[in-house]
Amino acid sequence: MKILSCVLIFLSFSYAQSYTFLLNKYDKELELESKIIGKIASSSLSKDIVLFIPKITEAERNIYSKIFTIGLTCEESNFIFVKKNFPEENLCKNANKLYFTNNYKKLLSNNRFFGAFFWSKSRPNIVFIKSRLVKNNISLPNSYKQFVEDL
Amino acid sequence: MKKIMFLLFTFIGVLYADSLNNLLKEYEDNSQKSLQTVNEKLGHVLVYSQKELKLMQHNKLGDVLKELPLLNLNRNRYGLTSPSLAGTKTTVSGFFRLFVNDHEVSSIHTQSFALSWGEMPLDFVDYIEVYYGESSFSLGNETGIYFIRVYTKSALKENSTQLKTLYTDNNSFSQSLTHSESLENGWSYLLFFNQNNIKNEMEYKNELLKNDMKSRYFYVDMKKDTLGINIGFNDIKKESYMGLSLDLVPNNGELNSQDYFINVSKSFLDDDSLKIGASYNIYKREYKEDNDEGLGVLPLIDFTQPPINTIPKKYKENLKYIKSTGYVTKNFKTSNNQLLTSFHIKKKEYKLINRESTNLFGQVNSNKKFNDFNKETIYSFILEDNYTVNDKLLLIANSKFDKYDRNAYLKDSDETMYKVGAIYTPTENFGLKTFYTKTYLPPSFYNTEFASSLNKDIKTQKYNFYTTEAVFAFNKSKFSITYHNVEIEDFIYFAPIGFINVDHKIKTEGLIFDYKYQISKNNKMVFNYYFTKSSEDINNSDKGGYIKFMGNYSKFEYFSSLIYKNKFEFRPEDSNHISVDASYNLNVGATYNYNKDISISLKGENLLDKSTKSLFTDGFPGTNTAIKDFDRTVSLTFKLVF
Repeated sequence: MKILSCVLIFLSFSYAQSYTFLLNKYDKELELESKIIGKIASSSLSKDIVLFIPKITEAERNIYSKIFTIGLTCEESNFIFVKKNFPEENLCKNANKLYFTNNYKKLLSNNRFFGAFFWSKSRPNIVFIKSRLVKNNISLPNSYKQFVEDL
Repeated sequence: MKKIMFLLFTFIGVLYADSLNNLLKEYEDNSQKSLQTVNEKLGHVLVYSQKELKLMQHNKLGDVLKELPLLNLNRNRYGLTSPSLAGTKTTVSGFFRLFVNDHEVSSIHTQSFALSWGEMPLDFVDYIEVYYGESSFSLGNETGIYFIRVYTKSALKENSTQLKTLYTDNNSFSQSLTHSESLENGWSYLLFFNQNNIKNEMEYKNELLKNDMKSRYFYVDMKKDTLGINIGFNDIKKESYMGLSLDLVPNNGELNSQDYFINVSKSFLDDDSLKIGASYNIYKREYKEDNDEGLGVLPLIDFTQPPINTIPKKYKENLKYIKSTGYVTKNFKTSNNQLLTSFHIKKKEYKLINRESTNLFGQVNSNKKFNDFNKETIYSFILEDNYTVNDKLLLIANSKFDKYDRNAYLKDSDETMYKVGAIYTPTENFGLKTFYTKTYLPPSFYNTEFASSLNKDIKTQKYNFYTTEAVFAFNKSKFSITYHNVEIEDFIYFAPIGFINVDHKIKTEGLIFDYKYQISKNNKMVFNYYFTKSSEDINNSDKGGYIKFMGNYSKFEYFSSLIYKNKFEFRPEDSNHISVDASYNLNVGATYNYNKDISISLKGENLLDKSTKSLFTDGFPGTNTAIKDFDRTVSLTFKLVF
């Protein structure tokens, strides 16, 4: 019953186009970002996901924790999403973790990252690098092929 | 539980956004709504989203200002488009505060943004928020009635180079370049450069009022995490239009200005609750005008003798202003209370580089200071508390203490502002917002220089106003009514002999009706109507509104808008009365997107050629005359992104 209520509430929010006053900070964009990362993470890893975002903000923690278990450290997590500038040496080194970024230049220069979610020409983009998907044993659904690039 | 929620979101995702493409589209659409910084507690808010600015082809700030409720956008004596509150017409107005990101850009001299930023291009602008009501509590220490916040595009979200060029049927053109990039080291930057060559002239008494303008704008926004650096520059060179000429038609005249600023801010702590910022602003203004029939440079005219003895026929001045600011702001949050404390300091300095006038007899007067008041430091302490009683009721209490430290004859003063308010949302479809505000507007350097010689000691204007807004929101519709009631003491009025404080209380009240209807996912209609009632004679439209429609289909974007300002009569009982017809400003435009990176747009403005008109006085004391503000214009824009 609780789940049904959640679904109904969620649907009503999805379709409510108007609002009276925005009393809380508008976080729909962050919520959609978390869903996109959620889809990518669940398609890339078959086990339960523990997400680590270096320098995570309070707002990000609140939104992301609705669909992810948030790891407090890099070591205890298996999916690392680097959104801000974070020293490379402070990221843990473990073959069983997946690294994702929001910076295309970082994706090109650092082969630790298997993909990126970033903006280009005012439009959001997703890119996965084919060789790094293979290296990390990631098998993405066919519908993701359009986001895969040979580099 | 998290697993269930994750599965639930995945399930819903499959139902309604089953592909990453759909989610990306939804993410992009949401980003274009531009609601991320809206602060309902600041006042009654209108948002011009990124999507609306694009669909409506708003190319410059004036395009947005001319449709705002409760104000008129007219051309002033210098040919600049300048906003005035409904029912009034002011040459320069200090009621409006304009922010480019965190930096307040109004003139240090006049408190008006019309000269430097009134026609700012919007190519580098992401979205605009307009707040009606005193909002300076958390926005610094310049007070006002209308607060316009312009947010520039985020380099992180652009990552592109954009070229845009615009031509109009009267040979005006505008070109701009925007480049943005996010670097691997965490820095991102946005560079903007723009140049305009605007042709404009109006006919009066079989002579031309020349108003050509050349302007350049440069802007840099650099960011790394919570550190932001903004650098802005603009350079305006224009003809003087009527300038200060007593017969409204000068022999010739020129107005030049340059505005430079740098603004740095950084947030600290995990929740970014501590913010520190500083800015430095230099503003230069050069003016020269010749007129055989005389110039109304009021501070130079001695009214104790026949004015003809002191009226100048040539005038030039070169002025420099410096403004520096610093602030620290700390937010304290608990589950139902949010307290903001802030300390601001602002220092303004005014330097006379050169001033020279020649009277009708050819006698030259050099470097005359109009008065000695040229330095002002403002210290402000702000307390802002928002208390959430329950999920339906929010209470707001703001207070601000300002100390003005002035040199020369103008007295130092301590001012207090406060605002109490409530936001009540009993249902998802209905909301009420109400504020009672006590605020003030201090005299500017310009007010004191052009003060009546009978009393140079211009006092601060005091405002008490009460506003209430009711909103009804349904699935695709939103309807709001906003009531305002304003009382002003010591109103600063520009009389024929200079600025004076009006000796009685001025009252005004009115209503704004606003209705938005989302016709379909891609098409929207907005209707707005307002009226005001004032205790004083009106010299401008006091009723107005607009209806606009915008949308997109396939590769096309389109809009149309009709902006209405009512007919009015100035001093109907006076022999010198004048009647001005209603204005119907019809605008229509369309954009064809050849692909995602190339577009071409066509726009027609004021197609019915029924522009607003501005009242001016010809001669001294003179007769009243009304002159058209805007011409009919057709423009073609080409945009390339790479």
